[in-house]
Amino acid sequence: MKLAVQRRRAARVLITPAVAVLLALNLFPIVYALYISVHYWTLARPQPPRFAGLSNYADLFFDERFRNAVLVSLKFIVLAVGIELLLGFGLAFVFNARLRGIATLRKLTLLPSLVMPLVVGLVWFYMFNENFGLVNWIWVMLGGTRVPFLTQGTLALLSIVATDVWQWTPFVMLVFFAALQALPEYVYEAARIDGLSGCQIFFRVTLPLLRPAILIVLIIRAVDALRSLELVFMMTKGGPAGDTEVLPWYLYTAGFLSLDLGYAAAMAVLMLALVTVLSQLFARRLESQEAVL
Amino acid sequence: MTVALIRNKDQHVSTRRSADAWPIGAVRYLVAAIFTGFFLLPFYVIVTTALKTETAIFAWPPIWVFKPTLQSFYNALFVFGGRGAVSYLINSIVISAVSTFLAVVLGAMAAYGFVRFSFAGKRHLAFWILSTRFAPPVAFIVPIYLMVQKLGLLDSHIALILIYTAMNLSLVIWILRGFFAEIPIEIEEAALVDGYSRLQIFWRVAVPLVRPGIVSTAILSAIFSWNEFLYAMVLTQSRAATLPVYLAGFSNSMGLAWGEYMAVGTLAVLPILFFTFALQRYLVRGLTFGAVK
Repeated sequence: MKLAVQRRRAARVLITPAVAVLLALNLFPIVYALYISVHYWTLARPQPPRFAGLSNYADLFFDERFRNAVLVSLKFIVLAVGIELLLGFGLAFVFNARLRGIATLRKLTLLPSLVMPLVVGLVWFYMFNENFGLVNWIWVMLGGTRVPFLTQGTLALLSIVATDVWQWTPFVMLVFFAALQALPEYVYEAARIDGLSGCQIFFRVTLPLLRPAILIVLIIRAVDALRSLELVFMMTKGGPAGDTEVLPWYLYTAGFLSLDLGYAAAMAVLMLALVTVLSQLFARRLESQEAVL
Repeated sequence: MTVALIRNKDQHVSTRRSADAWPIGAVRYLVAAIFTGFFLLPFYVIVTTALKTETAIFAWPPIWVFKPTLQSFYNALFVFGGRGAVSYLINSIVISAVSTFLAVVLGAMAAYGFVRFSFAGKRHLAFWILSTRFAPPVAFIVPIYLMVQKLGLLDSHIALILIYTAMNLSLVIWILRGFFAEIPIEIEEAALVDGYSRLQIFWRVAVPLVRPGIVSTAILSAIFSWNEFLYAMVLTQSRAATLPVYLAGFSNSMGLAWGEYMAVGTLAVLPILFFTFALQRYLVRGLTFGAVK
């Protein structure tokens, strides 16, 4: 009995500080964002916030720029994450070989994932430059003419996608590589004994076994791509003509350049709702893994 | 399922990774080398641009052989923007270090509490903490800005330190949970018999046993704090401004000061290159929250 009390106290002492920090800086801001989002709340004039009901949300519904931002974000996420998954998947097989030196190459590919996104934006901004950029130089060497990568609508978005692919493909590749390494040999032996061809083994054995890893990396990348605004900040500022104006960038400009906090908060609430759904999927995935442990 | 399978990783050292016949092996090498080159090229560009003279930076075609100069580093650190980047650098180091320390201490305590004690609502609490990992900073920036403003903490170190602590807590807790769970309970029971209190066991027995986990989560937390851009830009101006805030100033330089900004970029990236190699083994585990080991 005494031990049980002690144990409960120990658990409380251990867990409370972390939970308190998260309550103050995660849960409270969410509630506060909801509160701000139903007010006219501007930083521009020193007047007190006024209750606005759902009008910020209604405005969002009719806001062309918001619709555009959602669409651009969607395009960015689908393209970037799609390419990263396909390329990372393929590269995992390339690097999954016992060849001298290939492990060293694999370790080197790790570097982009941890670099400050702002520096990534800076260096690719330089490399995409129309007048002296390396990408243009390579393009001209291959027989093309100079391309204004970052000032032409579709190209600008694709350039940012390419930059994101540069940064995150290695991470995706390493996750798949780790998952491939963990596949048990006996399954393959069984498949061979059953007379499956190489192609059948891939689709009926490897792919299904990699499904958990695919889901996990898909969710992590989608959530992180949704929040990313550093590349846009550094390379295009949302231009040309809103063609690279992703949702987080629009939210930031609405809140801190137009100073309309109520409106920005309404956008934030919608974004949180979306992310909550994705994080639930991720949690369920982890939970089903833990159940086996 | 994956985790259960992956647990056995060490026992079957991937017999499937057999050596290829030579044409396939050669293709593997070629593809691996091309992509490794692609992933490393921007690092070369960052460092060489920082070491070039202004004329060399704007040269077309790009200059590959040049006499390096440290002028850009000198300008960036001590001259540029009135007072140089040194104070930003110091702020980055202080804020990353303190927030990492707090996140690891509070996170390790909570992780241990979750592993060794049972209490009502434990699973819900753990998954709520996990969900905070998915919180996009941009969705929190409006309420957090108002909170920090009302507390009179704009442009203060403490605001960023606490926000980064909260940002990294879920990572630390979830990764260390896995590490603590791997400690055989018998070791701790023996300590209990020896008369250690619960908290002594945590501090003197459990923590030393999970040192690799502590080191790798600390490095990851430090990198995430070091790289963080949005909170730093909105919440600080000069006194507590970090390196990303300095780099964001590039937009105001009319696209001319490439050398200086690449020099700061080099300083922002170098420590990460170093730590990435130190981290190697645990990186994928860390970045996927232990979902892939």
